[in-house]
Amino acid sequence: MTALVTLERVGFSYPGSARPALRDVSVAIEAGTVTGVTGLVGAGASTLLLVAGGFAPRLTGGALTGARHLATERVGIVFATPWTQLTGLASTVLGEVAFGPASLGRPREAVLAAVERAIGDLGVAHLAERDPTTLSGGELQRVVVASILAMVPDLLVLDDPAAELDPAGADALYALLPSVAARGAAVLVATPDTERLARVADRVLALEDGRLVRSGPPGAVLDDTDVARIARAAGCPAPLPLDVAAAVERVVR
Amino acid sequence: MIGYVPGRSPLHRAHPYTPLAVAAGLLFLAFAFRSPAAVWAVVVAAAVFAAAGGVLGAVLRPAAVLALPTWALLTVLHGLLGGPPHLALGPLALSAPGVERALVFGGRITAILLAFLTALVTVAPPRLVEAMTARGVPFGRIYLLVSTLTVVPRMRARVRQIIDAQQCRGLRIGGSPLARVRALGPLVVPLVLSALAEVDEQALALDVRGGSAAGRRTALAPPADHAADRLVRWTVLVGVVAVYAWKFAGAGR
Repeated sequence: MTALVTLERVGFSYPGSARPALRDVSVAIEAGTVTGVTGLVGAGASTLLLVAGGFAPRLTGGALTGARHLATERVGIVFATPWTQLTGLASTVLGEVAFGPASLGRPREAVLAAVERAIGDLGVAHLAERDPTTLSGGELQRVVVASILAMVPDLLVLDDPAAELDPAGADALYALLPSVAARGAAVLVATPDTERLARVADRVLALEDGRLVRSGPPGAVLDDTDVARIARAAGCPAPLPLDVAAAVERVVR
Repeated sequence: MIGYVPGRSPLHRAHPYTPLAVAAGLLFLAFAFRSPAAVWAVVVAAAVFAAAGGVLGAVLRPAAVLALPTWALLTVLHGLLGGPPHLALGPLALSAPGVERALVFGGRITAILLAFLTALVTVAPPRLVEAMTARGVPFGRIYLLVSTLTVVPRMRARVRQIIDAQQCRGLRIGGSPLARVRALGPLVVPLVLSALAEVDEQALALDVRGGSAAGRRTALAPPADHAADRLVRWTVLVGVVAVYAWKFAGAGR
């Protein structure tokens, strides 16, 4: 598989901060995979996304050490706060989602086709004519994700993308990530929602205090989901089931 | 509310450049004349322009609120402190040439306010974006103009949220003038800090959505530029040029 992002012993410090947010991180993010990033608040997960996506220090300022190789310029990022990600220049969801591909100068028909597909994938086609500023947080977050997907990024970076979503919306969003990866994109998602992450991630990176402390398949890295804790308490042998579906499957077996 | 007001008037349906061109023409005309009668004829023209958009009522109040302090200052500066001859107005002795100057300066301010507030409330920002995109205007300039046009409604909405939040926490915004001044701190500080906090994410979001892309954006639904629109704009241009030619030829007063 092709590595879209390669970080070699990368460190990063925000402007005015003496304490590095990332330390000595080496990792390769490959096309066609979903990579999860997890860790406690302040562990550096969001910073890793910004660095891997090429946004830090370009837009944030700060100092980067080590080597970063980004093989694409088509990078999309989604934050947990959808209301800061509206352009403010569109009066409909359709216009908002079309903003990105239109900015890239793609032909009108290609823009509209990409928009139709993205709003269909995210289940917001029925909101196409609504004013984005009148949507709920969950609807808005799905519109923002659709806006990024409509640009068909090679690298899709999501920072706690389900924070505003209800459980069904979060399930639907996470279920979409493998299909985005299957189209050839690399998906990098940071989240504290380890159960949903375990279902979709090919690999998980665990950070502590800015350092990459574990990396591997979800079953090898994640052992702190609610289901895993219950399984551990019940004396279940490793690898622990990480979500209800895995636990049921093991019981059935 | 100083922002776009939906409507079906000729100004709402016109190409977005047309109301802006008329507003600009009225500005140039207001500065072309030096006699109170001529300047106030421009004020009347600006009022007719607002009435044509069906927004005279909507723009009169903000125009008055913005113009009244200037009017008061002009009355003191030119009317009370101006040179002889003086006119008796009850207990006041107003300078006749000062009053004439105040009428000219005040008329210009009033005409400009009426004209541009009319353009502001009749030009839908998304249509303006499409119109400018269709003409190949770089996105940076489009964003600068449109974000300026929409800043007041956005800030008002944010102020409303902060007032609600602070009142829930016991802040009183009424009472004596001193109490009102004291209440400004808990309102202004979160307003400024939240605006600054959002700037980084919004800049990043716009960058990701192709805001800094070098190529030409695709206009998806550019507004129609009818012959009548072009006729109005050419008439404004020719009229302004003719008035200035007349003025510089020595005939204008």
